Amino acid sequence: MTPTTPARFLDPELLARIGSLELLARAVVEGFMSGLHRSPFTGFSTEFTEYRQYNAGDDLRYLDWRLLARTDRYFIKKYRADTNTQCHLLVDTSASMNYAHESSVTKLQYAQFLAASLAYLLNRQQDAVGLVAFAEKVHTHVPARNRTGHMRTIFGNLSMLEAGGETHLAESLHQLAEILTRRGIVVIISDFYDQAERLQEAFQHLRFKGHDLVAFHVLDQNELDFNFNEPVLLLEDAETQEQMPVLPDVVMSGYRERMKQHVEDMRRCAAANRVDYEMLTTKQPLDFALFSFLSRRAGK
Amino acid sequence: MSFLTPLFFLGVAALAAPVLVHLVRRTRARRVQFPALIFVRQVPQRTIRRRTLHNLLLLLLRCLAILLIVIAFTRPFFSGGSAAKDNTAAGATVILLDNSLSMRREGMFADAQRRAETALDDARNDEQIALVSFDKRYTVLNRFVADKNKVRLGISSVSAGWDGTDYEQALRGAESLLSEIQTTGPKRIVMISDFQMPGWTAASATFKLSNNTQLTTLDVGGNNPPPNVAITNVEARAVVFGQKYLDNLVVHVSNFSDTPKDHIQVDFQINDQTVEKRDISLNSRDSRVVEFTGFNLNEGANRCTVNLTVGDFAPDNRFYFTLRRETPAQALIIEGASRGRSDSLHLQSALTTNDDLPFTFALKSAGSVDPASISGYALVVLNDTGPISSQLADALVRFENAGGQIIVSTGPHTQAESFNASLQTIAPVTLREAVQTKAGESVAITEVKFDHPIFEVFQESGRLAAANVIGYFRSEPRANTTVLARFEDGSPALVEGRTGKGRVLLFTSSLGPSWNDLPLTPLYLPFIHQMVRYAGTREQNAWSRLGQTFTVGKRQEQAPPAIDTPGGARLSESRSTPDGDVLVTAREPGFYRLRYSSQPDFAAVNIDGAEGDFTKINFGEFMAGVTGGAGSAEGTAADRNLSGEEVEGRQRVWWSLLLVALLLLLAESFLARRTKMVKMIG
Repeated sequence: MTPTTPARFLDPELLARIGSLELLARAVVEGFMSGLHRSPFTGFSTEFTEYRQYNAGDDLRYLDWRLLARTDRYFIKKYRADTNTQCHLLVDTSASMNYAHESSVTKLQYAQFLAASLAYLLNRQQDAVGLVAFAEKVHTHVPARNRTGHMRTIFGNLSMLEAGGETHLAESLHQLAEILTRRGIVVIISDFYDQAERLQEAFQHLRFKGHDLVAFHVLDQNELDFNFNEPVLLLEDAETQEQMPVLPDVVMSGYRERMKQHVEDMRRCAAANRVDYEMLTTKQPLDFALFSFLSRRAGK
Repeated sequence: MSFLTPLFFLGVAALAAPVLVHLVRRTRARRVQFPALIFVRQVPQRTIRRRTLHNLLLLLLRCLAILLIVIAFTRPFFSGGSAAKDNTAAGATVILLDNSLSMRREGMFADAQRRAETALDDARNDEQIALVSFDKRYTVLNRFVADKNKVRLGISSVSAGWDGTDYEQALRGAESLLSEIQTTGPKRIVMISDFQMPGWTAASATFKLSNNTQLTTLDVGGNNPPPNVAITNVEARAVVFGQKYLDNLVVHVSNFSDTPKDHIQVDFQINDQTVEKRDISLNSRDSRVVEFTGFNLNEGANRCTVNLTVGDFAPDNRFYFTLRRETPAQALIIEGASRGRSDSLHLQSALTTNDDLPFTFALKSAGSVDPASISGYALVVLNDTGPISSQLADALVRFENAGGQIIVSTGPHTQAESFNASLQTIAPVTLREAVQTKAGESVAITEVKFDHPIFEVFQESGRLAAANVIGYFRSEPRANTTVLARFEDGSPALVEGRTGKGRVLLFTSSLGPSWNDLPLTPLYLPFIHQMVRYAGTREQNAWSRLGQTFTVGKRQEQAPPAIDTPGGARLSESRSTPDGDVLVTAREPGFYRLRYSSQPDFAAVNIDGAEGDFTKINFGEFMAGVTGGAGSAEGTAADRNLSGEEVEGRQRVWWSLLLVALLLLLAESFLARRTKMVKMIG
């Protein structure tokens, strides 16, 4: 019998078989956390980090009394700042997110899994989690909360998301920048089919409002490769229904160049606006995204 | 452009195949939703249009390849003649139609006639056309006329003959004809023949067409000449005097093909009766000699044939010749008067040891000879006679003038002054002093003409010089005489002279042992026999070659005989000599029957044996030889418009077409791999 490894449960293809997002998120996060028992990452919430010797003027609340009792020495327990962070998960539900090529997981499903896992992770750390879903405009908004039962609301809304409509990502982000009044972490999960210049403005807008931005660029592997077996295809735009006859073997190299350029533009745009950017394909295990998320947040 | 097999154009229907494939296999594009159409849209869409063009290009390439293959199968060729015809003013054309023996091959001459008519049709209506048939000679059938029907009649009237081929002679004739006509248009020669190699030899070619004469050759012989075995020659002594033929009858048989031939039966017949049969084999390009001897002959003319039993070209499988058995003529040996023992003993002995000599001999002394009886002999031998009477001398002069043969030998009894005085009109030399060598010394016979019939038998042995001569007359040859041998000091030994119709052979030493040891050597007998045979031989051949002229004499009759040709027709056209003999030019192989009232005679005529060699002429050499070749000045006629098959075979346009088709298919394959032939929808 093949030994079951935690990472195996993070495979999107397997996760797709789990009907409940809550179960899915738990499986992902618990599996992920169990895999990190030797990890140096400790999260960003209220957490002990180190001891140091007591100096005059230090707050006595942080004096380790137990250590003093045992060793008769004065040490201060050092903690990281207690954040009480608000995190908004922004999920793109435009029609383009409904794409899956030779895979059972669409980009939207992957975004749902990722959002659920992040929500579970954050909630486990006592952070307030909110959910925003948008396509042409924001159509679902669950304000950030940190209380019992809120996760069910998040998961419930997440599971009901359906792809449809055109993407107006920049406009939606501008709209959200106005909606999300309290500073926090904004996690954007999208395929980012918008012009980098316009997105840059949107990012700047959110950054201006004081949000930390995390961008998960979710793509199907075939969106990168453009690998079709057919000699000719009639490609139809999922959002506009525009059709275009295409010879994959002819178009492939040009397309790949442009897609690569787009990803590079996104990466540059994110870096310019101090946005934590990660490109994911729907084939990648979710722990990769979580690992990326936590490692980037550790440096904040 | 013309096509050898135009029926293959039906294959153009195959063009439908790629079109159908193009239509049937066109692919319906699958509709796929794709999110990143924005980037697809940025890829230049001209590639789609280019692909469509590629598809059309592929279709075009396939159609073109099929079309080229179809055209290649039709075996196209370019006809230069029509081009030349169109771009110039009306000119003059000589159609040379080969009617030599080799054109008697099955259907060949009819094909040549068709080609001639086609050439006639190709000519402009206002073109002046002459028609010439040729073999070894050429015959002008039509001088220049613009009326094609007249030429057409000429073409249909001619038939294949029996003679050999001489292309140079034909071209000379055509050029000569063309020089007679004044025209500003092109001058053309259209030569229609099987172009066999024996008809033209590069080494002996001396004639070239002028630069403004254009030569067109139409080959009806095909590229693969049929195998052929032929009798090319028979060597025979035409006249014998004994019942048995003792010489070797030599038959030459040649295989002109590249394949060996076994079990060829050589059947020798005399008067339609088989005498002997031989079975021979011949390697490729091989010749063999078959010899027959020891057979009996009837008196008079015997019709002889040698036949080959091979199933090839029939005319050269039979060879005709005549062998005559004649009664020996009377000959007289005259020796010096009143001697105890005949000086002619050795001579007489030599002449009676062979019954195949043309004479029977009588021996008389000079004093006992009746001068009036001299004319009754065919040969007189004066063997060291000494002085003779003036009556005898006059009789001998008359005898020689009438055609009599005289052999004279000197000796110790001969007196130079008396000899010169009595026989000065017929003797070939003027005798000077007699020479006697010192004791124990001798001179040899040198400077012998071994190509002369008398000495040709000594050619290989060369032993004639072994004879020791101790006495001879120095002499001075007269004009129009031939010295056949000399002594070491340059003085003539044997001289031949003709003053009348006869001949005089004079030996300036003795025919007995007095002045030389010839009678004591093995050389004596053949020497004497050869002299006698030479003196007694009429110039008769066992057979004549077609085209040669042979003489039919009156003999003892008042008028020359009627002559029937081998075909049985009575010969009407003949020429006569001043003596009333008939000269007949041989035009037909077989036996010409000479209807003498006393006894019929025959003259055998044979074809040129080389005509059986159907090997193809080397066209490159031929055209270069007769037109000046590639290095000649511009304007030299070198237009090789051969027969359709020949031209096609040489141009090999189909080969180029197939090559281009192959390249097109390779290009198609390359394009197809790149573009994957599809038909776009929508």
